[in-house]
Amino acid sequence: MWQWFFRLGSPKWFYELSGRWLPWLYVAMTVLLSIGVIWALLFVPQDYQQGDTIRIMYVHVPVASISLACFPLMAVAGVITLVWKMKLADMVAMCAAPIGAWFTAVALATGAIWGQPIWGTWWAWDARLTSMLIQFFLLIGVIALRSAIESPDAAARACALLSIVGAINVPIIKYSVEWWNTLHQPASNFAMDNESPFGPEIWVPLVIMICAVYLFFVISLILSTRNEILVRERRSQWVVDLIAAQKPQGA
Amino acid sequence: MFESMAFDSVSEFLQMGKYTFHVWSVYALFAVFLTVNLYLPLARRRQFIREQQRRALRDSQANQSPDGDDGRSDANGGSE
Repeated sequence: MWQWFFRLGSPKWFYELSGRWLPWLYVAMTVLLSIGVIWALLFVPQDYQQGDTIRIMYVHVPVASISLACFPLMAVAGVITLVWKMKLADMVAMCAAPIGAWFTAVALATGAIWGQPIWGTWWAWDARLTSMLIQFFLLIGVIALRSAIESPDAAARACALLSIVGAINVPIIKYSVEWWNTLHQPASNFAMDNESPFGPEIWVPLVIMICAVYLFFVISLILSTRNEILVRERRSQWVVDLIAAQKPQGA
Repeated sequence: MFESMAFDSVSEFLQMGKYTFHVWSVYALFAVFLTVNLYLPLARRRQFIREQQRRALRDSQANQSPDGDDGRSDANGGSE
């Protein structure tokens, strides 16, 4: 019954499956990203208060919301690492940390650029902003912890624990705008009708951008996990054969 | 389709109202973010394959078996 689960944990199986998926993921991401960016930059109407800064939302919101997916992913992978000692889960967790740090940093930077004209300040110690900054430092902490521990197994266990503990921050970020009444506005309620200020002409491109950025997250996670598989499995015969089958790479 | 555009001219589009710097810096940062995160893993993969090919060549010239030919570290049962 558990066979499929452990097959899923086989690095070779993951490597081959993801290799078949990648071209489709690239196509889907490119199409959605092109539609989303053109729509957001050219066709979304100027906001009556914010003017053209509304276009910043189509980068900031997808990047920020997907940065929240990183810690839950690492926590789930951490549980799998601790309970079943599945190597693939640890590789995914290891590769997710720097990608999540990138996402969090870009969310903070685009938020600052958006906040400057709208709030009149680049930065405030607002609940949402502060909890995002904590997420950034936690991710840096996970990366530093991994490189500080020499034994790979001990590093995997320590990072798994820190990821599970660090995931507590995610609901704090999510609900910070409701629990504390500070600068950052709560999530908007989008409506289906065209009369509402948040009608489809505002949220449809946002949904497209969220899907595109999600695909980007998945693709970059797959790419670095595949590298990690090759590095850790370089002594096994299938990687040796795979490297031998590659065209010689120029010096 | 073009009637629903938010801008009447290219220069208006490039100007983005009062927010030229804000809008374009966010999109520039986004472009850098995407490019770097897709390019770096691919560059790392190329470099790794190059290193391993050099090592295999060196090993075969030294008339030794390739590095670690003895064991499969794929303990999770990746055999076909």
